Amino acid sequence: MTTGESSESTVELAGVTKHFGKQTAVADLSLQIPKGTGFGFIGPNGAGKTTTIKMIMGLLQSDAGRIVALGLDPIADGLALKQRVGYVPEQQVIHRWMRVREAIRFCRLFYATWDDKLCADLLGQFDLDPDKKVKQLSKGMVVKLSLLLAMSHEPELLVLDEPMAGLDPVVREELLDGILQTICDREQTVVFSSHTLSDVQRLADAIGIINEGQLRVHCAVDDLLRRTKRIRAVLSDGSAPERPPEGMIWQRVRDREWLLTVEDFSDETVAGLRATNALERVEVIDLGLEDIFKDYVRGWRASA
Amino acid sequence: MSVDPNLHVPIYEQIVEHIRGSVAAGVHRPGEALPSIRALAVELLVNPNTVQRAYQELERQGLVKTRKGRGVFVTEDGDASAQSRSAAAVQARFTDGIQVGKTARLPDDRIESIFRNAMAAADGSEQTDRADARGDTSPEARDES
Repeated sequence: MTTGESSESTVELAGVTKHFGKQTAVADLSLQIPKGTGFGFIGPNGAGKTTTIKMIMGLLQSDAGRIVALGLDPIADGLALKQRVGYVPEQQVIHRWMRVREAIRFCRLFYATWDDKLCADLLGQFDLDPDKKVKQLSKGMVVKLSLLLAMSHEPELLVLDEPMAGLDPVVREELLDGILQTICDREQTVVFSSHTLSDVQRLADAIGIINEGQLRVHCAVDDLLRRTKRIRAVLSDGSAPERPPEGMIWQRVRDREWLLTVEDFSDETVAGLRATNALERVEVIDLGLEDIFKDYVRGWRASA
Repeated sequence: MSVDPNLHVPIYEQIVEHIRGSVAAGVHRPGEALPSIRALAVELLVNPNTVQRAYQELERQGLVKTRKGRGVFVTEDGDASAQSRSAAAVQARFTDGIQVGKTARLPDDRIESIFRNAMAAADGSEQTDRADARGDTSPEARDES
């Protein structure tokens, strides 16, 4: 596929790889994010989320593979891309000595599409005082300012790297509210990373779980919830179970209780377990996103 | 209305279930409009695509009908379909409960008597429930009027 506006995907990565010295930060990562959807990146610390986001933003160059964002090459067309993307990095980069109104005036210069009314609306909604100096603002207020600066030029794509980290629930809700009001009116695409899985579920249509630079799971949140189940079985003789079933994510045997989490669950999963093990009772448990994520991470640690 | 992202039930299904309950209870009557996708997305703090998906599912179930450019409206027999759908939801919950009992190896007649007691307790507390519900929703109801 060639780069161009006809493309259905707002962001597309194909076989993207990035090394830092001997360490592989991102390995052969392929991903498509459709226009107008929310994509949430989750994974343990150091999994490669920020590196991937920086490559999408053209702040890091990949060693292999291809990245297209809004039909542009993030490195070759960096300036054109930045005009159309709103970015909130992990570490805020606003000059601390500036007043809020100065930071806005400064940032506004870079964007042809800056919308003063939207900016004023967000200022009011986030309850930001234009006369305050950035260094006087609380952490939450700085993130709000950052988001305001990232959204006021009406970007087609919003990229947020752990925007909610370390914020209290009230500020998180205010930020979510601001993001949602803006994207509702503009059909923006949002790419973000987070450790707060409840926020991920609110914002994301699809999620990607990344571990050690590899995209291990990529699907709609609803599908993940539907097809990932934990099975709790009572082993008749208390002996260790025979070979684990296909698609097992994690398991634990304690006394007679065998807990195992599987992906692509179906009735055949249970039938298969019963065929190969002496089981007294089998119970199928629905899991929330947080439990699913934890079971994946535990499973990877156990097999590492 | 609110959604709980920590549940195992996908958010769009939570929205479907809530609106189905509201239609069955007569909060939204046949011919009346549901909140816009934008309004509900901002109120619930969820992605508008999720709300849209919930509305599509409600339309598929025959509870609502989208009128282009005008909004989403409860269908003529929306309340009746909502009630029969709610019956299915009740059965699913009971099945879950029965499963818990069977896992604990409770005999069937014991599970049945638990059901009868729970039913009697629910009938007894219905008055209180209603009072609670009024207290909970009145500020919102005022906002919407």
